[in-house]
Amino acid sequence: MAPLVLGGALRAGHAIGTKASLALGAEGTVDVLDAALYDRVQTARVRRARRLTPVDTVGLPSSAEWAMAAALHDVLQSANPGLDAALRRAAAVRILELAHQTIEHVPPPAHTGEALSRHTWMARVLDLAREDTSVSWWTGSRTFRGVSPPGRLTAWPHLRRVNVVTTPRPLLELEPLAVDREKLAAAVSLLLARTPLTDLATCARTAPAFAWNESALALVATRAGRTLALRALAQAPASPVDVALGRATRELLTNRRAQAAPAIALLAERTLALAQTAPGSLGGRPDGAFARGIGAAAALRMLRESESEWPEEERRRLITVLESAGRTDAVREAAAMLEGAS
Amino acid sequence: MQSRGVANPWALQPLRASDLRYVGLYRVNPVLERIALHQTRLHTPGLGLDAKGVALGAKGLVLLPSIDRLVAFLAVYTRERSLEDLMPSLVMHVVRSKLGTREITLEVAAESSDRMDRLADTARLVGGFTFTGTSRHFVQYRDAAAPFGYDATELLSTDAALLLYHDRFSQTYDVERPIGLRPLLLRLMPHVDPSTKEEPGLRILVAEQGLGPALVHYLVRSRVEGDVGVAEWPPESAFDDAPVRRWVLRVPELPDRMRELVHGTPGITAFVPVGTGVAVEAGYRHPIELRACPVFDAAGLVLVRGRGDEPWSIPKLPPMGTLSAFARVELRTAGGEAAVATGAAPAETVRVPLRVTPSSGPWRNVTATWVAPQQLPLLRKLAYALPHATVAQARIAITTRGAFVRSAAGIEAVPLGTFYVEVHPGLYVPAGHEVTPAVAPEVLARALGAPASQALFLTTEGRAIAVEDAAFVPLETALLEAPAWEAVVAEAIERALDEEPLKLEVTSAGLMPLRGVEPQQG
Repeated sequence: MAPLVLGGALRAGHAIGTKASLALGAEGTVDVLDAALYDRVQTARVRRARRLTPVDTVGLPSSAEWAMAAALHDVLQSANPGLDAALRRAAAVRILELAHQTIEHVPPPAHTGEALSRHTWMARVLDLAREDTSVSWWTGSRTFRGVSPPGRLTAWPHLRRVNVVTTPRPLLELEPLAVDREKLAAAVSLLLARTPLTDLATCARTAPAFAWNESALALVATRAGRTLALRALAQAPASPVDVALGRATRELLTNRRAQAAPAIALLAERTLALAQTAPGSLGGRPDGAFARGIGAAAALRMLRESESEWPEEERRRLITVLESAGRTDAVREAAAMLEGAS
Repeated sequence: MQSRGVANPWALQPLRASDLRYVGLYRVNPVLERIALHQTRLHTPGLGLDAKGVALGAKGLVLLPSIDRLVAFLAVYTRERSLEDLMPSLVMHVVRSKLGTREITLEVAAESSDRMDRLADTARLVGGFTFTGTSRHFVQYRDAAAPFGYDATELLSTDAALLLYHDRFSQTYDVERPIGLRPLLLRLMPHVDPSTKEEPGLRILVAEQGLGPALVHYLVRSRVEGDVGVAEWPPESAFDDAPVRRWVLRVPELPDRMRELVHGTPGITAFVPVGTGVAVEAGYRHPIELRACPVFDAAGLVLVRGRGDEPWSIPKLPPMGTLSAFARVELRTAGGEAAVATGAAPAETVRVPLRVTPSSGPWRNVTATWVAPQQLPLLRKLAYALPHATVAQARIAITTRGAFVRSAAGIEAVPLGTFYVEVHPGLYVPAGHEVTPAVAPEVLARALGAPASQALFLTTEGRAIAVEDAAFVPLETALLEAPAWEAVVAEAIERALDEEPLKLEVTSAGLMPLRGVEPQQG
């Protein structure tokens, strides 16, 4: 788990399996073998948490966090290129199934603190990448996946016309794979669903695509969770976040309209914050207009409520800003969809 | 005795080095050898080779046999160049050899072989020897026989403060006492030189207390312009209970008819300014060019007197008033307060335009220069060569018409642009020119009507350029273009917080990757 927080080389060993994964940390006590490493990990976790909220300590890893880390280990082992061979692919598929089963046994976070704690472990899970090195020389070439090429192949680079190309491959772009890529993505998606703050903070990712799930909605339904989510979203580039949130919210409104209120509240507060601090950025990219439009419509409704908590002058100014920014087709569509939802 | 060769170098001056190399079958001074071209290894500690290959230490040392040779050295050196660049590192000592003879050393920083060549040429002229070294060991500086200098192959082992190696001698010396340049200059008696009485220009007159008022009224009656103040000196003896007061008059142009009076009247002493903050009695000339010795404070005044009299020193000049302020005042006893005019008629116009014409008069008080815009790159290059004192004293204003540089101590050190003479506070006329019609500078300043906060520069075409005093900034602050700097601390913090990339390394899955892997039961 330390490399997952501190960075550096992360090596997947022998598969752990569901039973052993769920037994890890179940006793509630952990023997710290390397105190210095433990201190560094805890410090890095605090640093990660303090990007979102001013906490000074984080707790010991819980059994759920041990299980999630073990499941991630098995997911990585299932993507081992050594298993992409005859008679070995079935083992990779089985390992991935067990990892999926392990994650299913992990309950969603019970409160915002647990979500934050899981985020301190899993925040960099999508940064995982394997470095594939292609070495070509005057008489041949060879590719090394996740290992460094031996020195003899890169010796005398000028004389042997050695050319070394290193390509980083993210987790969901690894190849060759012994397992179905869709199943691998589903396992990662399920893992992210168990750490909703990480799920929201990385919503602008390309794969697996962000979608509102129960744990994410439960997180943003609370005041503290929504604040943490807004801070996490503010650290990512605004336009891709708007695109991802807009797509996920449209899907939510279409299929599960009754559960959409927390997501709409999140978008409303995000749009209000933009209107207050940077009204010029309300335009943004056209494909993010739906998220901003639905946020603007919800924010306008919130501001027009008679018992609004806003000072009168500020309330009027914000209404003017939001109305002037909401005259596009996408915003009208979002507003109409919101009216239908209410 | 540790010294080898000849103990008294001065006794051997008529001889040549080659004569002394061998005496009979014995080498007299075997310790010095010539440095060859491309030689890299030197024995003398602190001795290195400069870019030209000349052996050079951190210091240069001139060995002189007596004080009169030191004075001759300073007189010759200051005749052509200023001591300003040598002053920061100039140290003079009386040194004592093992034989008890006292000699003089003059040490300066050997910044370049050019400087050392000048020193060596001057020292050779006055019978001195030039050495170079860093701490204690000094070897003979280069001469025609050894263009790259000398190196000492055998170093003397002694506790002496100075060890000098010459092709004629090797000698050790102990420092006896230092010699200050300013005390030396003030102890030197000026030579009689009646021609200085006839030199035109500024005169400083010092009159005893009883003569002062009469002299002032005489000058006021004769319409002589000038300033006057009273300076005090401590009592000359314990029997005097009051300080000695003397009137100090500064007269820019003393009429010729009055020269005899100020030079011949007992109780009145005339002085000719010879540099910043120093003047020598008229009729005498100081053996050293005092203008080249920046040891006198510009805010004070040192008056060097002839006949061996003690110099008068005024650490801070007293407040000076114009001579006209001391004119006799008389009150009218009859008539009304003022006659009131009953009408006004236009005055007849007699005004003529101002012209600035070349003049053959001497250049005095050249304190400003106007550097045209096209010469500004040259000024930037020159900035690297300017001595510190000039950079510290000069003030510069950059305008669209070029740069105006002012320095109260004289602007000769900036040999660029059009030189200007300050004829009145804040009013500058091109050097070598005069204003026609020949009106007084006060009249000219009043006619131009510039406020006191502006400096007016007249061009040779008769136009005036006004520069705000506030626009003048110290040259040293305007010169330096500080390179941009980066906050390394912030970078270090950012680096400390930087996260290492997360790299997935592949290990072998083993022969039985599913061994021991179990699902959750139930």
